Amino acid sequence: MFEASGLKKEYDEGQVQALRGVDFRIQQGEFVAIVGPSGSGKSTLLQMLGALDHPSAGTLKYRGASLADRADLASYRAHEIGFIFQAFHLLPTFTALENVQIPMFGTHRSVSERKCRAMELLKAVGLETRLHHCPAKLSGGERQRVAIARSLANGASVLLADEPTGNLDSENAELILDLLASLRREQNLTLILVTHDLGIARQAARIIKMKDGRIDSDALNKEST
Amino acid sequence: MTFFTVVTRGLMRRPVRTGLTIVGIAIGIAAVVALVGISRGFETSWQTGMKSRGTDIVVSNMSKGLTPKPFSDTVVGRIAPLPHVAETCTLLVDLISVEKAEMMIVSARQWGGFCWKNLKIVSGRLPNDAAERAVVLGRTAAEVLGKKVGDTLQLETEELAVVGIVDGGAVVEDGSVILSLPLLQGITGNQGKVSIIDLRVTPGTGKEEMARLCERITGLVPEARAVIAGDHIHNSQAYRMISAMSWGTSLLAVLVGVLGVMNTMLMTIFERTQEICVLLAIGWKRSRIIRMVLWESALLGFLGGVGGVLIGVMGVKILVTAPSIRGLLEPELNPQFLVMAVAMAVVVGVFSGIYPAWRSSRFTPSHALHY
Repeated sequence: MFEASGLKKEYDEGQVQALRGVDFRIQQGEFVAIVGPSGSGKSTLLQMLGALDHPSAGTLKYRGASLADRADLASYRAHEIGFIFQAFHLLPTFTALENVQIPMFGTHRSVSERKCRAMELLKAVGLETRLHHCPAKLSGGERQRVAIARSLANGASVLLADEPTGNLDSENAELILDLLASLRREQNLTLILVTHDLGIARQAARIIKMKDGRIDSDALNKEST
Repeated sequence: MTFFTVVTRGLMRRPVRTGLTIVGIAIGIAAVVALVGISRGFETSWQTGMKSRGTDIVVSNMSKGLTPKPFSDTVVGRIAPLPHVAETCTLLVDLISVEKAEMMIVSARQWGGFCWKNLKIVSGRLPNDAAERAVVLGRTAAEVLGKKVGDTLQLETEELAVVGIVDGGAVVEDGSVILSLPLLQGITGNQGKVSIIDLRVTPGTGKEEMARLCERITGLVPEARAVIAGDHIHNSQAYRMISAMSWGTSLLAVLVGVLGVMNTMLMTIFERTQEICVLLAIGWKRSRIIRMVLWESALLGFLGGVGGVLIGVMGVKILVTAPSIRGLLEPELNPQFLVMAVAMAVVVGVFSGIYPAWRSSRFTPSHALHY
């Protein structure tokens, strides 16, 4: 699904090298955890995978085609990728139901179809009773579940999660990880999760360890269930 | 939820700031409505006045003031024999303070001329002859001055009898003190002087022939200028100055509105940088972000425009009842003008939103991960 070759990312005219030549392949349906200390390049890698930023050198292919050659990266982000952020990033003036509908603007769905789809997704993450609550009225765990529902709005095949449990207590973190794992299984999603927490990374089938902008190790996780 | 919901929700994030911006635009648009409405109304009032008197061509010297400059009444002898001239009526018109009214039109007319014929008597009568020391008052003038038939009116140093109240069929006529020409010439020391010659052309005279007649009269009478009645007011430098000032002030008000909306929209997008980056990260196109910001600023403009029209119309309605200008103006606040004012506010909104929209579209989606 993803194939990276010699991927580099530099900032400030090369003074900061966030990625120093990264190579990997990720297959459809894989659950990959990217771990590493702060500044190791894991979030930069996630940005490249989500086409939020361009690599300085190297190639990154999605389904065999280079992302750099894609004319419409917005469409890629809207339809192929689902983003889950550490800080949830829900729009504060919109209800849970409305937040899930936001990515669906620009699709061919009608107003009522968008609403039905959002209701289905919120039901799937167990929030059918919280549809009309704004983010401020939801707990951290509930907000992240809304964010997960939003990431699936347009039928993404890849979920990119950046420290998705970073702002949650252990109980809610466990619930969110279980939810992500079950959604991945049910929908054959590719789940790429960035974390600095090895305990969370151990739930993934494969762990890529980053250090100083390079892959330090890339191995299947035998402990994974 | 529609795209419009997203737009309105963006504005409702800071209701006080949004409200103040709308008030800012509304004041600007109210100024446009009031100033331009009054200036256009002044023009309309004069034109309606001419129309009600049945005047086709006006000969006057409107160069300096709002009222025409007097010239010799012998001029009429050069004009009357010209082809297509059916009838003439000489007038001496002035804008002066009359008793408690600070400014009032005093219109003295050639006795027996056609300019008396449009006056419909509401009460009393017209003067018996040119020598009678009497005036008739337009309905509004009588109301403003608090006069009825049988009262006396102090005009300069003379005390004249109010013998009638008339309906002149136009705001300017209704707001006037009307008397015979020789009487006002005597009172103001303008013997042998007139300020306007109203002409009626022979039936069947076309626009082109009227234009040629105007040129001929202007050539014959260098001290005045002949114009078709509808264009008369445009010859006044004072009117042109008032009109230019009202548009100038309006433009300033609009400029303030533009800066207000631009400031609000810039603050809005900078406050929402993270949100906009998230929208880009979850697949919104830059064009959609631009549309969102432009719709928000257009909506601000629209709401400000509607508010401004309401304030402007109410303001003008109150203003025209002020004793100092009552009966002088009939503000022109027709629906087309009001719709144009709202449209102008929307254009102001969209124009002001262009730069903030462009700035918001330059945000990079990767910033969504930095918060």
